[in-house]
Amino acid sequence: MKAAPRLILLSLLAVLVLLPYIWMVSVSLKPRSEVFSATLSLIPQDWAAAQNYGRVLREIPIGRYLLNGVFVCGAILAFQLAFAIPAGYALAKLRFPGRGALFAFVMLGLLVPAHVPAIPLYIAAANAGLLNSYTALIAPFTISVFGIFLFRQFFRAMPDELLHAARVDGMNEASVVLRVVLPNAWPAATAFAIFSVVAHWSDLFWPLIVVTEGDLYTPALGVLWFRAEEAGDDYGALMAAAVMVTAPLVIAFLLAQRRFIEGMTMSGLKG
Amino acid sequence: MTQTFAPTRRLLMLGSGLLAAPSIARAQTVAITAHYSMPAIFKAAQDAVLEAFHASQSDVRVTYANPTPSYEDGAQLLLRGAATNQLPDVTFQGLNRMRLFAERGITRDLRPYLAAEGNPAELGYSPPLLAIGFQGGQQAGLPFAMSNPIAYYNVDLFRRAGLNPDAFPTTWDGVIEASRRIRALGDGVEGMFYRWPGDDWMFSALLFGFGGNMLTPDERDVAFTGPEGLGAVRLLDRMVKEGGMPNFAGTADLQAFAAGKLGMMFRTTAQVRGISESVGRNFELRTTIMPVIDPVNGRLPTGGAGAMISARDDNRARAAWKFVKFATSAEGTTLMVKNTGYVPTNQIAIDDPRYLSDFYRDNPLFQPATRQVGIMKPWYSFPGANSVRVTQVMVDNLARIAEQRATPEQVVADMATEVRRLLPRA
Amino acid sequence: MLTGPAMLAYLAMLLVPTLAVVVLAFTDFELGMPGFRWVGFDNFADLLTDRTVAASVRNTALYVAIVTPASILAGLGLALLIESGLRGKIVFRAIFFLPVVSLMVAMATAWQYLLHPTIGPVNALLRMIGLAGPNWLGSSDWVLISLGAIGVWENAGFNMVLVLAGLTAIPRELYAAAEVDGARSAVARFRLVTWPLLGPTMLLVTTITTIRSIRTFDTVATLTQGGPNKASEMIVWTIYQEGFSFLRMGYAAALTVVFLIVVLVVMLVQTRIIEKRTHYA
Repeated sequence: MKAAPRLILLSLLAVLVLLPYIWMVSVSLKPRSEVFSATLSLIPQDWAAAQNYGRVLREIPIGRYLLNGVFVCGAILAFQLAFAIPAGYALAKLRFPGRGALFAFVMLGLLVPAHVPAIPLYIAAANAGLLNSYTALIAPFTISVFGIFLFRQFFRAMPDELLHAARVDGMNEASVVLRVVLPNAWPAATAFAIFSVVAHWSDLFWPLIVVTEGDLYTPALGVLWFRAEEAGDDYGALMAAAVMVTAPLVIAFLLAQRRFIEGMTMSGLKG
Repeated sequence: MTQTFAPTRRLLMLGSGLLAAPSIARAQTVAITAHYSMPAIFKAAQDAVLEAFHASQSDVRVTYANPTPSYEDGAQLLLRGAATNQLPDVTFQGLNRMRLFAERGITRDLRPYLAAEGNPAELGYSPPLLAIGFQGGQQAGLPFAMSNPIAYYNVDLFRRAGLNPDAFPTTWDGVIEASRRIRALGDGVEGMFYRWPGDDWMFSALLFGFGGNMLTPDERDVAFTGPEGLGAVRLLDRMVKEGGMPNFAGTADLQAFAAGKLGMMFRTTAQVRGISESVGRNFELRTTIMPVIDPVNGRLPTGGAGAMISARDDNRARAAWKFVKFATSAEGTTLMVKNTGYVPTNQIAIDDPRYLSDFYRDNPLFQPATRQVGIMKPWYSFPGANSVRVTQVMVDNLARIAEQRATPEQVVADMATEVRRLLPRA
Repeated sequence: MLTGPAMLAYLAMLLVPTLAVVVLAFTDFELGMPGFRWVGFDNFADLLTDRTVAASVRNTALYVAIVTPASILAGLGLALLIESGLRGKIVFRAIFFLPVVSLMVAMATAWQYLLHPTIGPVNALLRMIGLAGPNWLGSSDWVLISLGAIGVWENAGFNMVLVLAGLTAIPRELYAAAEVDGARSAVARFRLVTWPLLGPTMLLVTTITTIRSIRTFDTVATLTQGGPNKASEMIVWTIYQEGFSFLRMGYAAALTVVFLIVVLVVMLVQTRIIEKRTHYA
């Protein structure tokens, strides 16, 4: 395709996709009385950025929430990778009885809505005295069936010769995983990381259940603070909080995207 | 702390019994936790109440658990807490959910505490105010912040349509006629919106306005199949047919109103602050009381939050009562009103101009709700396991009116059948 | 051995809690009630006559039927368009990925405004070309289509990324070879090289997108709450509302069990087909 039409088409589509974002950023800069108007104007007449972002910074420890988010998402990701890489490898490359059944369980796990195991897990966490702790925020997500699924697909595309060679060299299965599989898994891991971090960074459901006291809220809950359905939301502050919570993710994606695309590429995704 | 002070106390007691008293009091300080929802509305009020409470006495110290974003989240927190013994000692819950907790035995009946205080009226708990918190056969809670539906209108659109903004219609016939004329301005301007979606609250405003009830007094059968219920649904039907009322979803009505494209809006008074900020200087906003349907028997439902005691331990429950009593006192309710704009919940603060007359003089938009205090009655909570689900059935059926897919007669009949199925089987 | 830790975590965090919920399906358990009674298959019998469940199943099926193919095609189209040139690749990838990281709780307000029947920019645009826009989120005829469009907005970026990965895995030499073999036009090369080699990727994308759209929850919860009159009622929202809003845990559990069984059967059939196709390829 010629360069110009491609760029024009992509730009048009980009504007369409970005419209809600542009509006979000624009509202975060406006006073409340300019948010809804019969004419779409994105530039505020009176700038209220200081007011909106100021309210967020004043009312909630957003910095603390963002740090919680980094820690919780990081820990969740670490556990998920530690569990999912060997499992994905075994499901893809090793023959053992019950492999089919295990894979069926993985598929089943992909379908269970997050709300379903929530109450039993909450009761267990409460009985273990773990409410209002990082453990409660992290533990339920240490297993990612999506991760196992993704890594299985990834390892299926990995040439068997590589593994054979390692085994011929006298490695046992554990060191095959440690010395051959792991170093080759990082591209898929980057890909998985983005999906995992996005999901847990934005999770509104579980943190609200297990954090009832203290400053352990994760970033998305900071946005929820400014929702007040009954009295009408303070749109400026709500959008300002949303911008502050979304921005780190966007920056992280921009930084990671080269590796990310590579990672997905190498996984081959060959069904 | 208490341990460290012990020897000192013993010494003092040897010396002087009088001096010992304050120390003993300090030793008995009870620490309790409280929980509320919707910090965006209530945080300032709760912080002010807490500060004043701590300044007023030293026996009880209150700390807040993290506030939940909505009443629904707050209710879930309490129900989960009941399953795991993680309950706060005081909780502020939506008025329509108090019955649910009372029936499940999660919160305490406040009658013994009130009885111990003597005459409740002297504390400002008048019979109608107590009735708001009397749910499921017990004094489930005391109202902390009350709201009722009011009318919001755009003065500029009234003028442009040749209507007198100083004489807002006092009947629904007048409102529907005004809606037609505002709508005739064209350019996407809508006349009116009556906020029927979400829950059954605004529908009950019409039903109660006719003097009707949701259920029969023994709560065995529906009571809205008579002329009152049919009248309420027919009225909604006329708003759509004759008043050209659009079918706004979510907060579309608030958005259109703020943009100056909606003439009249009927919604809770709790929105006054938010709406006036959204309107800014875009046009002149006024509020007024709801049109009257039945001047004798007509009533309006009460929304808002009530204070409940969920402490398991008797000692903590006594401390919790002290906080609840303060939060709903004339002083507490004054702080609440000044920080939120909700209707005061203590008769002394309502009657005595020292408390709030300045506030209402400076904030006239908040006044109409207080003028309707005399006709407020509880937001009805349905009995039994399906109490919340019932309200969804009503909203779903009213949507058929809003979309003009069923007649009022059909809707009332279907609503009755479906609600009956969800009532407790005797 | 290697699946050990994963299976342990799977058991503790997913399977056991889910099985506990399955047990609840045979009780009348309610959140906040001290005890419960065994009710056998009563909850399942009630499901059959429940108007909400019927609407929910129908809407979910329709939604999946719209959103899955549309967002796969959108993802494929975007990926091909981005890869067909050199300039702006990084920027466009990032832009189209943005909806994946959106916070629906904040985006809901934006969508309500953009799709507002009278003051919304979308209908303002339609008016400019002489069309009267519908009441996107308020009309029971349009609401599912509107949610579907937002679903495509959310999923297209996700799919684009997966397709991009599949595309870059295709060896460049194959295109050169195809050209030598007479595939002059871009369309011919697409049919000869890209599509067959992308096959496995597309099947994976289909699986993931199907799962994601079946589990749609956030948009329903923040934008329509299933209304008007159940026109946007979807299955995970119904489960949530029965269990958490209406507090009928036992009933919600029964609904979950049926949902899992039905979808698992569908997925297994789909996997069979995928595995078969892969053998051909």
